[in-house]
Amino acid sequence: MNLIQNRALKQLLWIGIGAIVMFFAGLTSAYIVRRAEGNWVDFILPDWFLVSTITIIISSILLVFTSKKIKRDESVFQLIFLVFILGLLFAFFQINGWKVLTNQGVFLTGEGSNVAGSFLYVITLSHLVHLVGGLVALFITAIKAKRNRYNKDDYLGLELTIIYWHFLGLLWIYIYVFLKYF
Amino acid sequence: MSGHHNETFITKYIFSQDHKMIAKQFLITGMIMAILGMLMSAVFRVQLANPGESSILYNLLPGGWVNELGALSPDKYLALVTMHGTILVFWVLTAGLSGTFANFLIPLQIGARDMASGFLNMLSYWFFFIATVILVWSIYVEGGPASGGWTIYPPLSALPQAIPGSGTGMTLWLISITLFVVGSLLGGLNYIVTILNLRTKGMSMQRLPLTVWALLVTAILGVLSFPVLLSCGLLLVFDRSFGTSFYLSDIVVNGEVLHHLGGSPILFEHLFWFLGHPEVYIILLPALGIISEVISVNARKPIFGYKAMVASILVIGFLSFIVWGHHMFMTGMNPFLGSVFTFTTLLIAIPSAVKVFNYLATLWRANIRFTPAMLFAIAGVSAFITGGLTGLILGDSALDINVHDTYFVVGHFHIVMGLSAIYGMLAGVYHWFPKMYGKMMNKNLGYVHFWGTFICAYGVFFPMHFLGLAGLPRRYYENTAFPMFDGLTDINSIITFFALSGAVVQVIFLFNFIYSIFKGTKTVQNPWKSNTLEWTTPIERIHGNWPGDLPSVHRWAYDYSKPGAEEDFILQTVPLKEGEKEEH
Amino acid sequence: MTNILIALVVLLAIVTLVQLTRVSELLGELKKQDVNEVTDEDNKTQGFLMLIIGMGFLVFVIWQMIEWNHLLLPEAASVHGQEIDVLMRFSMTLILVVFFIVTPMLFYFSYRYRGNKQNTAYFLVHNNKLEFIWTIIPTIVLTGVIIFGLKTWDKAMNVDTSDSQEIEVFVKQFQWLARFPGEDNILGKSNFQLITPTNVLGIDEEDLNAEDDKIVREVHLVVNEPVVLKFRSQDVIHSAFLPHFRVQMNCVPGLSTQFAFTPTKTTAQMKKEEGEDFEYVLLCNKICGAAHYNMQMRFVVETQEEYDLWLAKQKTISDKLLTQK
Repeated sequence: MNLIQNRALKQLLWIGIGAIVMFFAGLTSAYIVRRAEGNWVDFILPDWFLVSTITIIISSILLVFTSKKIKRDESVFQLIFLVFILGLLFAFFQINGWKVLTNQGVFLTGEGSNVAGSFLYVITLSHLVHLVGGLVALFITAIKAKRNRYNKDDYLGLELTIIYWHFLGLLWIYIYVFLKYF
Repeated sequence: MSGHHNETFITKYIFSQDHKMIAKQFLITGMIMAILGMLMSAVFRVQLANPGESSILYNLLPGGWVNELGALSPDKYLALVTMHGTILVFWVLTAGLSGTFANFLIPLQIGARDMASGFLNMLSYWFFFIATVILVWSIYVEGGPASGGWTIYPPLSALPQAIPGSGTGMTLWLISITLFVVGSLLGGLNYIVTILNLRTKGMSMQRLPLTVWALLVTAILGVLSFPVLLSCGLLLVFDRSFGTSFYLSDIVVNGEVLHHLGGSPILFEHLFWFLGHPEVYIILLPALGIISEVISVNARKPIFGYKAMVASILVIGFLSFIVWGHHMFMTGMNPFLGSVFTFTTLLIAIPSAVKVFNYLATLWRANIRFTPAMLFAIAGVSAFITGGLTGLILGDSALDINVHDTYFVVGHFHIVMGLSAIYGMLAGVYHWFPKMYGKMMNKNLGYVHFWGTFICAYGVFFPMHFLGLAGLPRRYYENTAFPMFDGLTDINSIITFFALSGAVVQVIFLFNFIYSIFKGTKTVQNPWKSNTLEWTTPIERIHGNWPGDLPSVHRWAYDYSKPGAEEDFILQTVPLKEGEKEEH
Repeated sequence: MTNILIALVVLLAIVTLVQLTRVSELLGELKKQDVNEVTDEDNKTQGFLMLIIGMGFLVFVIWQMIEWNHLLLPEAASVHGQEIDVLMRFSMTLILVVFFIVTPMLFYFSYRYRGNKQNTAYFLVHNNKLEFIWTIIPTIVLTGVIIFGLKTWDKAMNVDTSDSQEIEVFVKQFQWLARFPGEDNILGKSNFQLITPTNVLGIDEEDLNAEDDKIVREVHLVVNEPVVLKFRSQDVIHSAFLPHFRVQMNCVPGLSTQFAFTPTKTTAQMKKEEGEDFEYVLLCNKICGAAHYNMQMRFVVETQEEYDLWLAKQKTISDKLLTQK
């Protein structure tokens, strides 16, 4: 992989990330506009979402270590696999958060639901769907790492996965703060 | 990634990663869909000219679309209008125009072997292909295809009880468009990254042909606006299939009181038009880019004001994001907001005017060679003038009160999109056909196609302004319910006459296109004596575009009839002579 | 059988075209000419065609303007509408002037500068002065248009409705209904959940203000008296379009919208001017389903006396309820 190819593929990812940002911008703008019209129920976000936030932050920190390690040509398989597990945990915590919300009477739809709840489910679900893509990427890079396919001069696939995963983390922090304080 | 690898039939023609093949895949699919879309318009034009009567053309329709008397049923009229709009806006003018020419021209004109990622590029076509299959399939499902207009406003598009097409047909429409958007985004990513990173030595941004600038800005517009359509559609999916109330509230339909509460259809309109307006510039900018190139080459003159042309592309691109509300003047929005959108909309006229004057200045004291491509390019400028001027009426909120959703709007957007953008696309096909297929299209058939189209097209769409100023609404199955429209039947008949004639004229183009691919005369290396890099590649296209090293660029793309030169064109690869200054 | 014949004819036409094209290309080869090369002759022909057909297009436009001018809507029959008509005349004149200057230039240049082998084009790359001129002039003109437009918009939208006669216009697939507020001048409350076949507008029959409301199938207005139409939709987006008054407003389920205006010409007057068949009409102007093309409500503008007589004859909601019992 030559340098220009590397740079181009990274830019492809960044622009793709830009597109995903616009998707969530559409959803959050809709949220803001709708909220201003009233008939909106405020509720407290379950603690599970705080747990999942911390989890994803930890996973990003681990990926920072991973970056440093591969630049020293050290094995990164265990770290990547650990991040993958944390990613699965994140999904598990999200689902628990939804369960708590349903028990509290906040529904996506149907009897007793309010559009505030609908938005919450749709936005967090959308994030989770994009996270699944990240999980797939982590899984593949983990396997490649186990097979020693990456070295300090050639780890583009890993780098792209790391960038995407950091993005998912930042996106989640934005969503979490947005939902908590707006 | 030049060089040779073993190609099977499948990797060469089906799952090709070569940008030139992918471009042709987009072109052929776009042309087939254009035929489908035009047939639909022929059918509903016949209904408008002979309301309530049967017609031999209706034999093309699925069973059940006509009643016992053979007349087209009103909700299927709306289905045709909806699918016509969807197919022409997205499938023909976006995928068929950008998909074809961005894929074909970008690597060639910047001096690259291929796109940054051939794999993503291949995916972009196949997502588009599957989207196409699903959309065509939706025509035949029970209840018919989506019928709420190509703008699919809820609640109409959310409730099958309100119109049958809003059932399965609309669900398939949403799936199809999602796949379409994903495909478009994959393409757009490639176009941007390729232009920014893979330009050959000496190809600075200032030396890029205007076509490439236009395609770059178009791709950026797409990346920023298409995802919002996805978020808009996602909320609609939830309202339709999961009973949420993002867009729906206070509805009683078919005697049934629905549970939805608190939603707003206007929210849909904001999200939709946030894409919807940039979308029309995604359609127009590549067409104008092609027109700039074709006019310059055939006028044997530099495009006048290259820098101003680039600036106007950038300004139009930017402004296109802040005018969407002019589609919503009559929604009861806060009048102040309406004022803001009037202001921004009328501003867009300025860079548009600059482009028109630059085209005129390019033709002034030119030495024009009238290839069919050149004829279409000039007609494209005429349509841009005509259609653009009526935009000044529509963009003015106070005037929009009486022309919104009338035939005045239909006339306007068909002239800018159906004429100007399509003419740009046709100019591109005629101009780059030799590069795509190694053969020449027949010139005389091209002349006949052009004049027939030019006359019929203005004959169809100019009269519509009068229908609109007479108060006739759009999307009306027939006009006989209102005595005030009785005097308009002649105009409708004239429009239908030109529409059917124009449709028949296109057969000449289709014949010319297909015949020339197989039996056309072989082209020469540089048939139009053009400066741009694509004409330095071998006539028989190869993977990696150039057999040896990539070309080096020494000058801008527009040295036509430069004083002191031997010929009236100088390829971009020719180094500057001693003492020669470079132009910009 | 007809289908087979049609298919055969089409096939024959295609084969003919193929052969004609082959013949013309072979002839060209014989003459050692490239059939597809654009010659000076071609440029001359196409150049002339550009001039003639281009000008023909302009003649066609003028013909349409003359021939179809009488079909256009008559002058506005409302106060704000007259302002809109002034703005429209101004804007139309402006764009027609630009159109009739720029379009002939395009076609004339195409003709005048048709190419031939002896000529050379003039190598003109840019001219900043020209760019500045044709940027600044449109900017100045458009600023004027914008200011004029915004003033007119403000007059149409920001109307003081404190003295206006309030009338509810209710719409559903595929019918318009209207409701007058009666003596108390207050429209009774309504709720979509109360809509039934007998309570078509979903009026809260407990609300005392609703008792004197009158539901009507055509709307009468008093000439020169301001009204405000309040819109409500039951099912999908419709749009209330009263072209003669220059009134249009979307009717959106879940939202209330309104449009205030003052009619200036009675129906009787319009009948004199436009013919006995003239009627003011309300049309639906936003795609709403199969019968979108067939939803209308008659509007009548008359004198105060005629209006009072008409209104007195309309039944109130309590009247209707009584007769139902």
